[in-house]
Amino acid sequence: MSKQQVRDKVSTILFAMLSVCLLLLVWQLAVSGTTLGKMFPKPIPVFQKFVESLTVPIGQYTLVQHAVFSLYRVFVGFVSGAVVGVILGIAMGRIPVIDAIVKPIFNLIRPIPGVAWIPMAILWFGIGETTKYFIIFMGGFANVLLNTYAGARDVDKQLIGAAQMLGANRRQIFVHIVLPASVPYIFAGLQVSLSTSWMAVLAAEMVCAQEGVGYLITGGMNSGNTTQILVGMLAIGLIGLILATLMRYAEKRLCSWKIRGN
Amino acid sequence: MRTKTKYKLISLASVFVFLAFWEIITDVLQLLPSYVLPSPVKVLNCFITKLTTSSPDGSTLPVHILSSLKVSMASFLTAAVVGIPLGIAMAWYSSVDKLVKPIFDLLRPIPPIGWIPIMILVLGIGFWAKVAVIFVGALIPCVINSYTGIKQVNPVHMWVGQTFGGTRTQMLFMVAIPTALPVIFTGLKTALGISWMTLVAAELLASNNGLGYMIQVARTIGRADIIVMGMLVIGVVGLILSTILDFLENRYVKGRRP
Amino acid sequence: MENTRKLENDCVVRCDHIGKIFGEFETSHEVVKDINLNIKENEFVVIFGPGQCGKTTLLNLMAGLEQTTSGEVNVNGKPVTAPGPERGMVYQTTALFPWLTVMGNVEFGLKMAGVKKSKRRERAQYYIDLVGLKGFEKSYPVKLSGGMCQRVGIARAYCNDPSVILMDEPFGHLDAQTRYLMEEEIERICSTEKRTVVFVTNNIEEAIYLADRIILLTNCPATVKKEYVVDLPRPRSYVSPEFLELRELITSEMDEMDL
Repeated sequence: MSKQQVRDKVSTILFAMLSVCLLLLVWQLAVSGTTLGKMFPKPIPVFQKFVESLTVPIGQYTLVQHAVFSLYRVFVGFVSGAVVGVILGIAMGRIPVIDAIVKPIFNLIRPIPGVAWIPMAILWFGIGETTKYFIIFMGGFANVLLNTYAGARDVDKQLIGAAQMLGANRRQIFVHIVLPASVPYIFAGLQVSLSTSWMAVLAAEMVCAQEGVGYLITGGMNSGNTTQILVGMLAIGLIGLILATLMRYAEKRLCSWKIRGN
Repeated sequence: MRTKTKYKLISLASVFVFLAFWEIITDVLQLLPSYVLPSPVKVLNCFITKLTTSSPDGSTLPVHILSSLKVSMASFLTAAVVGIPLGIAMAWYSSVDKLVKPIFDLLRPIPPIGWIPIMILVLGIGFWAKVAVIFVGALIPCVINSYTGIKQVNPVHMWVGQTFGGTRTQMLFMVAIPTALPVIFTGLKTALGISWMTLVAAELLASNNGLGYMIQVARTIGRADIIVMGMLVIGVVGLILSTILDFLENRYVKGRRP
Repeated sequence: MENTRKLENDCVVRCDHIGKIFGEFETSHEVVKDINLNIKENEFVVIFGPGQCGKTTLLNLMAGLEQTTSGEVNVNGKPVTAPGPERGMVYQTTALFPWLTVMGNVEFGLKMAGVKKSKRRERAQYYIDLVGLKGFEKSYPVKLSGGMCQRVGIARAYCNDPSVILMDEPFGHLDAQTRYLMEEEIERICSTEKRTVVFVTNNIEEAIYLADRIILLTNCPATVKKEYVVDLPRPRSYVSPEFLELRELITSEMDEMDL
C-alpha cells in the first residue's frame, strides 16, 4: 500500500467513527431534557438492553430465540418460493406453450405486494405458521420467477447451437447449457427476494404472532416500550445485514466464471 | 407470425379458463363458501358498489385510493428530492461520502416496515407517521442508485470534459449526472415499488383510511369479496404508477443501449 | 461416369444444388443459390468471397443450423437436417461455454456422448496440449485472450473427432499479428492431425496460405464463381512468387466481380 492509500484508509475510518459518534451524540442530546426524552431512551440503555436480552427473555423468549423463529419462517417461505419460482421461470422461459398459459395469470398476481396478501392469508389459514409461510412465499417468489424467466429466455442461441454440434441432446442442453447460463440471473432474483422475504416476515409477525423479531417491535409499540422497539430494530438490521452478506458470498462462489482478473 | 397468433389465443384461453374455473368452484358448484373465496362476479359487483358506498369501513373506494395515493406520492417525492441530491453529493464529494455513508450503511439493512412502530410512537397514528415510514424506505434506493450511478461515470468522458476546459461543477452537470440518469431512474422505480408496498403495510397495521385499511377491516368482518377486490385495486394502481415512471424514463433518458 | 461416381462416394460433404431464401413473398431475400460442392476426405477447403455474400449462411447450412430451401447437403452420405456431432464447428465469436473451464469446454462433446471421465480427460488433454494451452486447463474463458479462446474452440471441435470441421471466419476478431500466428498454428495442427476442414474467410492471404482448394463465391446471392486448386508446398511463404501470383489472379477476379 502506498502512503496515499494508507492516509485515505485512516481518514475513512476516522470519518466513520466521527459520524457514528455524532449520530449518538445527537440522539443523546435530543432525548435529554426534551419532551421527546419522556418516551425515547438514551443510546446506552438501548445497547445494554440489547446485550441483556440475548439471555434474558422478552415476552416468552430471548432475543436469540425470537431471531431463530423469524429466520426459520423466512427459510421455509423463501426456499419454497425460490423452488417454485425457478422451476416455473425456466419452464416459461423455454416452453412457449407454458409461457402463453401462465404469463397472463402471473401478470395479474405479480403487481400485488406480498403484504397485501396478509388479510386473505389470515382468512384462509388462520393465524398459524402456514399464514406466515404463505405471505413470505408470495413476497419472494415473483422476483425469482421474473429473473429466472429472463435468464432462461435469453440464453445465447449460438451456445445452444454449439452444444448441439457437439452432440448434446435436448435434455443435455437443458442441464448443461440452459441451467448454468441462467444461474447469474437466478441469483440476482434470489438476492432481491431474500430481502423482500425478510420484510414480509416482519409484516406477518407484526400482524399476527407471539414470537419473532417482528413481534418484538409491535409488542414494544403496544406496551409503549421504546427500548424494546429499538432493540428489535437493531436485531432486524443485523440479521438483514448477515443475510445479504451470505447471499453475496454464495453468488461470488457460484458465479466465479463471470469475474475477470484474479 | 402464425405461431405468434396461436400463442396469443392460448393466453386468452388461459385467462378465460382461469376465470371460468374460479367461477365454477365458487358460484356454480359452491365448493368454497364466499367468505373463503368470492366468485369473480361477486368481486366485480363489490367493486361497482364500493365505488359509491362507504360501508363497512367509512369511505368509498375512490376516497381510499386517493388517500393512499396522497400519502405514498408525498413520501415518494420527498424521498426523491432529498435522496437524489444526497446520493450525488456523496459520490461527488469524498468528505460527504466518508461522513454520511457509515450512518447510511447502518440504517440500510432495516426494512422500512421495521420503522412503523417507532414512527407511530413518536408521531402518532396518522398521516405523518405513514409519510415518515415510507420516506425512510424510498430514500434508500434513491440515494444508493444516484451514488452508484455517479461512481460509474466513465473516466474517459471526464478526461474529454477536462481537455475542453470544463470546471468541476460543469462536469457534474454536463457529464456525471447525464451518465447516471438511467441508474437513478432504476432507483426511482425501486423506490416507487417500496413506497406502495410499505404504504399497504402501514395501513394494515395502523390507520383509519386507505386501501390497506379497507382490506384489514374487511378481514375482521369476513368480507372476502372486499379483500380480493382491494388486492386487485392495489395491484392495478401499483402497475399504473410504475407505467407512468416507465413512460417518463423513455422520454427523458436518451441514448441508452437497447 | 464410373469415375465420377467413385469420386462422389469418397466425398465427406456433398452439396447438391442447395439454395437458401430467407423470408416469404415480397420480403424474401435469396442468400445462397444453386451451389454444388464436393469435399473429399482430409481436404482443406476455403470458402472465400466478399463480405456479406452468404458464406456464413452456406456454412450454417452444412452445419444444419439453418435448413436449405432447395437441394440437399449430405455428410457421409446422410442428408443434414439438424446439428450433429459428426460435424464440428469453430465460431468467429468462439461460443465457448463461459461457465466451464478450458478442460470443461474441450471435453464437452465426449461428456455428452457418455465417455468415461478418465478417458475423456486424457483425450481432451491431448488436444489442449496440441493447441498449445498446456497449463491453462483450469482457466475460465473470461480470463483468456482472444487468440487463446480461439485455440480452445479449435481443440473443442477436434476433440469430438467429427468427419468435417466447419470454421466460420475463426480469426475475424483477432488483431493482425495474432492472426498470422493462428494461421501458422492451424497449419501445424492440420499437418499433425489430418482432418476435413471447411474454412470460411474474407481474407485472401489466409485463404491461399491454408487451402488445398479455394471456392470463390459471387456476391449475394452466393454462387460458385470459380475454384482454384492450390498445390504449393507447405508450409507456405506469404511472399513466394507463386503465392503472390495466385493472389494477383484471385484479386483481379474479385475486382471484375465488383464491376
